[in-house]
Amino acid sequence: MVSDDIVIEVKDLVRIYKTGEGLLRRKKKETLAVDNISFQVNKGELFGMLGPNGAGKTTTIKMMTTLLLPTSGTVSVMGYDVAKDPYEVRKHIGLVLGGEKGLYYRITARQNLRYFADLYGVPLSERDKRVDELLKRVDLMDRADERVEDYSRGMKQRLHLAKGLINDPEVIFMDEPTIGLDPQAARDARKMIKELVDGGKTLLLTTHYMYEADELCDRIAVVNKGKVVALDTPRGLKSLMKDMSIIEVEGFGIADKEIEVIRSLPGVRTVSATLGEEKQVLRVQVADAAEMLNPVTHVLEGRKIIGVRVKEPTLEDAYLWLVEGNA
Amino acid sequence: MPKLRAIAASFRHQYLHFLADPQWLIPNVILPFMITMVVLIMFQGQQGNFALYAVLGGGMMGMWGNTLYASGWSIQFDRWNGTLEEVLATPSGLIWIIAGRSIWNALVGIFNGLFILVIAIVFFNADLSMYDPVLFLLAFLATLLSLSALGLLFSSAFVLTRQAGVLTNGLEYPIYVGTGCMFPIALLPWWTNVLSYSLGPTWGIESIRYAAIGGYEGFATGYWGSMAIMAIISLTYVAIAIYLFRVVEMKARVNASFVRY
Repeated sequence: MVSDDIVIEVKDLVRIYKTGEGLLRRKKKETLAVDNISFQVNKGELFGMLGPNGAGKTTTIKMMTTLLLPTSGTVSVMGYDVAKDPYEVRKHIGLVLGGEKGLYYRITARQNLRYFADLYGVPLSERDKRVDELLKRVDLMDRADERVEDYSRGMKQRLHLAKGLINDPEVIFMDEPTIGLDPQAARDARKMIKELVDGGKTLLLTTHYMYEADELCDRIAVVNKGKVVALDTPRGLKSLMKDMSIIEVEGFGIADKEIEVIRSLPGVRTVSATLGEEKQVLRVQVADAAEMLNPVTHVLEGRKIIGVRVKEPTLEDAYLWLVEGNA
Repeated sequence: MPKLRAIAASFRHQYLHFLADPQWLIPNVILPFMITMVVLIMFQGQQGNFALYAVLGGGMMGMWGNTLYASGWSIQFDRWNGTLEEVLATPSGLIWIIAGRSIWNALVGIFNGLFILVIAIVFFNADLSMYDPVLFLLAFLATLLSLSALGLLFSSAFVLTRQAGVLTNGLEYPIYVGTGCMFPIALLPWWTNVLSYSLGPTWGIESIRYAAIGGYEGFATGYWGSMAIMAIISLTYVAIAIYLFRVVEMKARVNASFVRY
């Protein structure tokens, strides 16, 4: 029996993609995308899924939203099984897949929203009012009657958000909802997500932006290679790093070879590097910053170093530690 | 009612796309138009109702071409566009969405008939007077729905596979010939008649001819008999299509073919 508070229940979920190549001697290939994962999402919770590309996040969302069938295991949303009662599940959920696709480009934003309102069975008496409200909410009212093909990527993403809310769903699935948005628009989107959850909606989102997950999510599942490698609150995940410190080095001309040498130093857990054309930033996770400061800077001798700081670990550090197979 | 709403919304949606991108006209209206023109020229001056045959045949070809081409390809377009998943995620049911689009697409084919009508009257001085305009209109609309039902049946293949375009190409001409659009199916070898009789539009075209041509002597079923058989066959198409859509939608959820282009 599922508790009233549990809105999404994922149990022993497995998804294998089967593909074939060749005509006569057809070779079958199996790819394990989701590997026996289980979790629950409570009513009114904002649940995040973090993981690298290909980790299985989108496949999991597609199973939860009835677009894919599980190979084994079960998913129930609002008490309905996604495999047995897909139409019931669809009545209660909203889906924001995001990206450049998923909209009808040759018609206007208003026509897109009206079409989806009709397909979701939004009462005709409410339809146009709701479309206007959502257009205002995502700041597209001024350009509501222009073709979507003339929209910028950020505008398309905002229209995706509006489309996901057209049926006033109880559960909302968002796959990278702020991708492609400029900082202002991303901040507005996060504000909207918070308002939705404050208003009682249950929301599951995937994102690559750690600060977004940290700021928004009540709990986060870190997914890697199809498995949930950690599931906790942002604070709980960060506490995995409580005995660790971060040595952050900013400089120029740091080579991959040097990063590898730092990575192999005893006492170094992981190294992440942001390599731009100008400044490079290395984040070195170590158990004892005082002890490791000299060995790390020693490797970088001869490079132009503009700053070395010791910092507290962030969610990103915990995430990197987890997806690098340390869980 | 939700099903009717999905049909109506998808009909409107297809109409909006048609207005936004009228290039559908080229393969679906121009080609049957050209074929009909050839027939009109070939039979110019002949006794009988060849002009009416050509006009009706051209109209039917346009309707079928549009139904088959656009209904099928609208799924493929949605797949390319990334909207197939978005519409599938709604509770409407894909079959009703495609049904609305199919009806619009069949309706567009009427433009073809209208163009030919004007050309037949203006350039070929054809006599196109209708024997019974009311029965003609009724038969015409029923045939439109029958063509839509046939298009719906075939479009289920597009949900399952991106290779279904081959099916579209392969089915265009057999239906033109098999339904007797351009000439009576009595002219065809006997064994092809089995196929012809299993096609709803064959009976629709027969009804249209009964209504349009005074003293027409076609199938023994007459006007109403042909209409009834068309209705039974068309409803059978819809029933099979509902079943097929359920099966292919399930299969597509298994093999993830909604997103593979």
